[in-house]
Amino acid sequence: MNKFILSKKLYRNELATFYSFLIGFLIALAVGSLILFIQEKNPFDVFSLMLKLSIGSVNSLSNSLNKAIPLILAGLGISIINSVKLWNIGAEGQIFMGAIALNFVYINTSINNSQIYIFLLLVSGFLGGAFCILFPAVAKVLFGVNEIITTLLTNYIVFGLTIYLINGAWKDPASLNFPAAAYVSESVYLPTVIGKLSSGFLICILFTLIAYYIKDKSVFGYEMRIAGGSALTAIYAGINAKQKAFFAMLIGGGFAGLAGAIELLSQTHRVSTGISQGFGYTAIIVAAITGMRPVGIFLVGCLFGALTIGGSVIQTIGVSSYIAEIIQATTLFGALIAQFFFSYEILKKSEND
Amino acid sequence: MIDVQLIGLLNATLQAATLLFIAALGELITEKSGILNLGVEGMISVGAVSGFITAINTENLFLAVIVGVLSASAFSSIHAFVTVVLKQDQTVSGLILTILGLSLSSLIGKPYVGKKLEVKLESLIDIEEPLNIFQVLLNQNLIFYIAILLMIFTAYVLKKTMFGRRIEAIGEDLKSADSMGLKIAKTQFIATCVGGAFAGLSGVYLTLSYVPYWTDGMTSGRGWIALALVIFGGWKPYRTAFGALLFGFLEALGPRLQTYGFEMSPYIVKITPYIITILVLVFLTIIKNGNTGAPKNIGIPFFRENR
Repeated sequence: MNKFILSKKLYRNELATFYSFLIGFLIALAVGSLILFIQEKNPFDVFSLMLKLSIGSVNSLSNSLNKAIPLILAGLGISIINSVKLWNIGAEGQIFMGAIALNFVYINTSINNSQIYIFLLLVSGFLGGAFCILFPAVAKVLFGVNEIITTLLTNYIVFGLTIYLINGAWKDPASLNFPAAAYVSESVYLPTVIGKLSSGFLICILFTLIAYYIKDKSVFGYEMRIAGGSALTAIYAGINAKQKAFFAMLIGGGFAGLAGAIELLSQTHRVSTGISQGFGYTAIIVAAITGMRPVGIFLVGCLFGALTIGGSVIQTIGVSSYIAEIIQATTLFGALIAQFFFSYEILKKSEND
Repeated sequence: MIDVQLIGLLNATLQAATLLFIAALGELITEKSGILNLGVEGMISVGAVSGFITAINTENLFLAVIVGVLSASAFSSIHAFVTVVLKQDQTVSGLILTILGLSLSSLIGKPYVGKKLEVKLESLIDIEEPLNIFQVLLNQNLIFYIAILLMIFTAYVLKKTMFGRRIEAIGEDLKSADSMGLKIAKTQFIATCVGGAFAGLSGVYLTLSYVPYWTDGMTSGRGWIALALVIFGGWKPYRTAFGALLFGFLEALGPRLQTYGFEMSPYIVKITPYIITILVLVFLTIIKNGNTGAPKNIGIPFFRENR
C-alpha cells in the first residue's frame, strides 16, 4: 500500500506564516516572469521598471503608500470579522458605501471649521461601511444565512447604487461622458504629509494599532475568538456569541467604509466608479496571506500597494496591468502550498507497521 | 394566442436559467463530496474566455466548447490540489481562484475585447418566430439540451450509482467513509474537476451564445448566484433546476419591466436580481430553520490521524 504517511507537526514554526509568504511571493514572481516571457517581454526589465516606478522616488513611493491605505483598512476589517470565523467578501461594496455616505452628509451639511468637518465626514464614511454590512450581519445572526454570499452580492447592489446616483441625482453636469458626482470643496481635502503622501496614511497606522488592540489585547477580542472558536465554550463562558459576531461585522464593515471615505477625500475628491478598483477583493488576499494579523496586513498592504502602482505604470511599455493582480493572487496560492509543509510532514512507513 | 413579448421573455428566461444552472449543478457535485469551491465565478470566466478565443481563431465551435470545458476543469484542479492534497482552507482557496480566474481571463482576453464572433451556437431547429411554448423549447441551442441531460444524469448518478453514493458518503461522514476504504482524496479531486468542467460549459454558453462577445467582468456575479442556487436547491439537482428557472426569469424580467408599464431606472433594474437573491436566501434559511440540507463535512479537510 502507501509507502508514505502524512503526519501533523506538533509544533509549528512561529514564523511559518512569514516564510510561507516569502515562498509564495517568489513562486508568484516566477509565474509572473513566465507569463511575461510568453508575451515576449524581458521579465527582469519589467520588474526593475515596476520597482523603480513604485518605490524609486518620494513621489512614486507616496503613490504606492496611498494605494496601500484602502487595502490595509479593508484588510483590517476583514481580519476583525474573521476573529469570529466569519468572512467579509463585501469590502468592495463597503468602500463604495463609505464614499456614498460621506457625500450624502457633505451635501446636506455645512460646517465652517474644516478639521471638524473632515472628522465628521470620516465618521460618516465609517458608519456607511457599517450600514452596508448591517443586513448580512442581521441575516447571519438572526437566521444563520451564509454571510459569504450575502456580503458578496451586496457589492453588486452598492456598485449599482453608485452608478444610479452618479448618473441621476448626484450627476455633475460638468462631468460629461464620465459620469461622477460633483467635487467636494478643497477645504475638506485630506492634507498631504510628505510629497504626495496623504495624511490618510497616518489614520491607517492608527487603525492598524486599533485593530491590533481590538483583536489581540481587548476583552472583546478575546470573547470574539472564543465565540468564533467553539459555540459550546462560548456558552459555558457566558459569552453571547451572536452579539460578538454582530459587532465584529459592523466594526469590520466600518473599517472598509473608512477606506472609501479616505479615498474620496484624498484621491478622487468625488464619488465616481474610480473610488475603488477592486481594493476590497485584493484586501481579502492581504488579510488571508498574513493569517489575519493586523501588523502583517499593514506590511503586506504596503507591498501590494506598490505592486498595484507598479502594475499600472508598466502599461506604458505595453504590459498588461493584470500582471500585478495575477502576482497578488498567485502569492497566496504559493503561500498556501508552503503552509502545507510547515503544518505537515511526510513520513516513510516503517517495514513492521 | 400568446403575445410576442411573452415569448421573448420565456426565451430569455430559458437562456439565463441554462447559464446559471450548469454552473450550479457542477458546484452541487463538488459540494456533495464535501469540497466547497467559491471559485465558480473565476472558472466560468476562464471557460468563457478560452472558448471564445478558440472560436474566433478556429471558427470551430465544437473545439471551442471542448477547450472551454477542459481549461476551466484544469483551472479548478488548482483548488483541488490546494484543498484536497494539501488540505488548506477551502474558503481562502476558492476566493483566490475567483480573483485569479477573473484577472487571468482579463489578461488573455484583452486582445479580443470588442471582436465579434462570426459563428455562434445556433439553435438546433431554426424557427424564425416561435409562436408557442413548445416552439420556444425547440428553438434552443445544443447546450440547453445538454444541460437537461446533465440534470437527469447527475441526479441518477448521485442517487443510484456506487460512484454517486460514495461521493455522498464522503460528503456526509469522512471518518466512516475512510474506514469503509473509500478513496477520499481521489473522489474529492474528481468531483472538484467535474464542477470546474460544468462551470466551463456555462462559460462557453455565455460567450458563444448568450452574449457572443468578450468583455472584462462579463460574468457579472453569475458564479455567485450559482452558489446561492445550490443552497436554494437544497443540494438536489431538480430543485436546483427549478431555482435556476426562477432566477433566470428574474434576470430576464428586469430589462422588460418597462414594456409592461413599470417605470424604473435601468440602473435599479440591473441590481434587482442580486437583491432578490439575497431576500430568497434569507427567506429560505428562515423557513428551513437553518437546516438547509448541506453536506455535513463541507469545508472540512480530511486528515487521517497517524496509525
